[in-house]
Amino acid sequence: MAQLEHHDIQGFLLSSYGHLPCATYLLLRISDVASSRQWLARLTDEVRTAVAVSKAEREQEVFSVNLALTHTGLSKLGLDPAALATFSLAFQEGMAAEHRARILGDTKDSAPQEWHWGNADNPVDILLLVFARDEDALEAQLRQRRNDIVAARGIQEVSALSAGRQEDTKEHFGFADGIGQPVIEGSGRLSRQLDRTGHATVLKAGEFILGYVNDYGVVADTPSATGMPDFGRNATYLVFRQMAQHVAEFWRFLDDATRRSDGTSDQAARERLAAKFVGRWTSGAPLVKYPSGDPHAGTSTLNSENDFEFYENDGHGFACPIGAHIRRANPRDALGPDSQTALQSAKRHSILRRGRSYGHRLANPFVEDGTERGLHFICLNSDIERQFELIQQTWINNTTFSGLQRETDPLIGNHDKTDRLFTVQDDPLRTRVSNLRSFVTVKGGAYFFLHGLRALRYLGSLKDSIFHYQTEWRDE
Amino acid sequence: MAQTVLTFITKIDPGKVTQLTTLLEQIESNQSSNPFVPFASLKGLHFASFVIFDDGDCGPDLVFENNFDGALDAYLEDLLRHAGHGLHGIYSCCLGYTATGSYDRQKMTAYLRAHVVWPNAYHIGNVGRGAERIHQETTLRDRIEVFLDDLVTDGKIDEPLGSLRQRIQQFVSDDPSLTWAINVRPRQTIIEQFTPWAKIALVAMCALLFLPVLIPLAIVSVIVLRRHEKLDPDQFRPVSSAHVQHLAKREDRIVQNHYAGIFRVKPGWFRRVTLRSVLWVANLIARTSTRGKLMGIPSIHFAHWSLIDEGRRLLFLSNYGGSWGNYLDDFIDKASTGLTGIWSNTTDFPPTRFLVLDGSRNGPRFKSFARDKQTATRVWYSAYPDLTVQNIDNNSAIREDLFTSLDETAVRSWLRRF
Repeated sequence: MAQLEHHDIQGFLLSSYGHLPCATYLLLRISDVASSRQWLARLTDEVRTAVAVSKAEREQEVFSVNLALTHTGLSKLGLDPAALATFSLAFQEGMAAEHRARILGDTKDSAPQEWHWGNADNPVDILLLVFARDEDALEAQLRQRRNDIVAARGIQEVSALSAGRQEDTKEHFGFADGIGQPVIEGSGRLSRQLDRTGHATVLKAGEFILGYVNDYGVVADTPSATGMPDFGRNATYLVFRQMAQHVAEFWRFLDDATRRSDGTSDQAARERLAAKFVGRWTSGAPLVKYPSGDPHAGTSTLNSENDFEFYENDGHGFACPIGAHIRRANPRDALGPDSQTALQSAKRHSILRRGRSYGHRLANPFVEDGTERGLHFICLNSDIERQFELIQQTWINNTTFSGLQRETDPLIGNHDKTDRLFTVQDDPLRTRVSNLRSFVTVKGGAYFFLHGLRALRYLGSLKDSIFHYQTEWRDE
Repeated sequence: MAQTVLTFITKIDPGKVTQLTTLLEQIESNQSSNPFVPFASLKGLHFASFVIFDDGDCGPDLVFENNFDGALDAYLEDLLRHAGHGLHGIYSCCLGYTATGSYDRQKMTAYLRAHVVWPNAYHIGNVGRGAERIHQETTLRDRIEVFLDDLVTDGKIDEPLGSLRQRIQQFVSDDPSLTWAINVRPRQTIIEQFTPWAKIALVAMCALLFLPVLIPLAIVSVIVLRRHEKLDPDQFRPVSSAHVQHLAKREDRIVQNHYAGIFRVKPGWFRRVTLRSVLWVANLIARTSTRGKLMGIPSIHFAHWSLIDEGRRLLFLSNYGGSWGNYLDDFIDKASTGLTGIWSNTTDFPPTRFLVLDGSRNGPRFKSFARDKQTATRVWYSAYPDLTVQNIDNNSAIREDLFTSLDETAVRSWLRRF
């Protein structure tokens, strides 16, 4: 089993900071290299590492700062072209590249041209992740960070994305979120995940941390830099997508689709169809285990019993539809040729989810209030193409997923085409919901690299040795 | 109806590569109504492609891939009738072509015939289903689906299973545009089904018969093979980002994707003989695959392997459903043994043991190899861009069981096909 080098790994890689419920993500752009490097060098000392702290220490913790860079950010800081070419192609091209937008389903309203940030009009170099125990602590941290940034004079704030404290662990559509989460071998989190959800998949460290053995039994190529061949060690790729959720549109669509023949709303049918979309009841209880109703309906108890398989327990999709969100996002044993092979194969497409909701809960879920709300989706993986992008392309947005036709993920899929369907398998006959709309719009996004601490220090200490590195970005 | 899988491979006049490229670009940019090769008019065509391989000392070659219904004669006639003009333009850029115009059918036919390359091994996902039948069965399914939507809306689904099915049968019988659906021909004749197994049985018997000779031969082969494997250079050159970008930009426009690559067979007669034998066995086994899967991979419509240049190079073409990443993962997770057995005989493949071990199991390196050897497809046509192998099989099964007599369990599973 791999021994993780906790002192060199950023804390965010191993923890979602549940004890720090307030967060703001600062998106920054470098305009002066020398001062940015100095700022980075100073900041690196304050970056929270993954070194374990005691329970008491954690309770005392007020804030946590982590930092990730885009390809342009690395380029501006002076990483040489040969080193830049050692990063994954997805990272080099960025999320907004034309053919990547196509496979990710970022078209029409979600197209990169429409984004608030992360596109050619408003590029981002640095992501500063600030987490805090409460609103006051967050405010104080942000003030300090912004003072530093202003003092450095070489960095502009592109945007501050706040992920405020939410009243519960539900996302805006109203469903318990963040239940399933893979466990990194050697991270000591297995028992915690098992206690929390009754289910855990343990994966090799190399699936999420570069420089370690992955599920193929090899150490994948890791970015290297001049003088620091293991530049990418203890790092990972961080995928960030700002996804606005159209809550009222979602619930009104479900309401329309489930009206009785006399035209009146049918609450039970509506909630049932919503659950069919997701694959869980709002409490998080999985349909595979509770096909007929939410065991915690009307209470605030969350259900996270996560130990089930799709093919074994619900091969025909009568409980959880074949195209339901959770069955697409992680098909577990569903994709054949047999359960064991399918499980083994699905494992290789896992991501660590680190997303947090933003915006206030919509007071009346049927009436839009004109403000934006959604999910700051963040996930971590060592291979963007094999993990995040494959999930998004081959499972979420695949119109022929698992033998279906003309369907994408009912919850977060792209439904640009007018004839998109959702099939609810049933005995003896399925029903189909037609003309689905996109209930989520991507508002911004980028691929970042969440460095190890030594690599951050390396970047902070870079000097302008070759002239064209300086001019390259100034010409833009 | 049986399908034919073949390529026409011709040497391009080095001075006319640009001219040919431009012509192919024109075809690709307007597949549906270009005046050169109107693919959609070729009724029996499933997938077709044009790829230019410029392989240094061997190239440039033009590979024209065809996967079609029926035999070559009828297809060639149809091809020249609809695409004579375009093909004349294309082959005017190739060496040895002497026809002076598309009216010169005889010379064109002779030229194409002379350049046919039959695959050493091939796979067909939806065995026995002609292109027309695939289209018809898609329509049938779509029509029934809409009819079922009405049944659901009208609350008729609580009826007994039998009467539900009767309603569907009635709906199809009553529609004059669907009368073809009633008479189903089997996907394969008894002989077609039986022959591959008979061949395998025959081979097995011969093998048993010659066992005393084969065992020492096998032992010697393994020793020689291990020597080769230990001496094969192990140099890993990661694929260039620019090349991957170039390929990826063309991908993921429809449900399927295309792979085209030429691989150099490792030097020496031993590897050439080994590869030829492996492909021969693979083809024998592939003929028994009638449920859409090739070595557990469910997504391949048509794939072929052809040894060219006296066995010095291996051409591989594949028309597969889904993303490149998923396809390669399927190869690694489900079909490592088979594909390693084939590609371990070609250069730059990750190191192997005993022909089929290791190799592609080194996932990242194998993917890099596969991308590195891939060549961008210039023109690629799919007759059914929205369908996977599974979709087509399901649609066929809906039709095949529509009017047969089924017991209750069978009716239930038939209804699950919608």
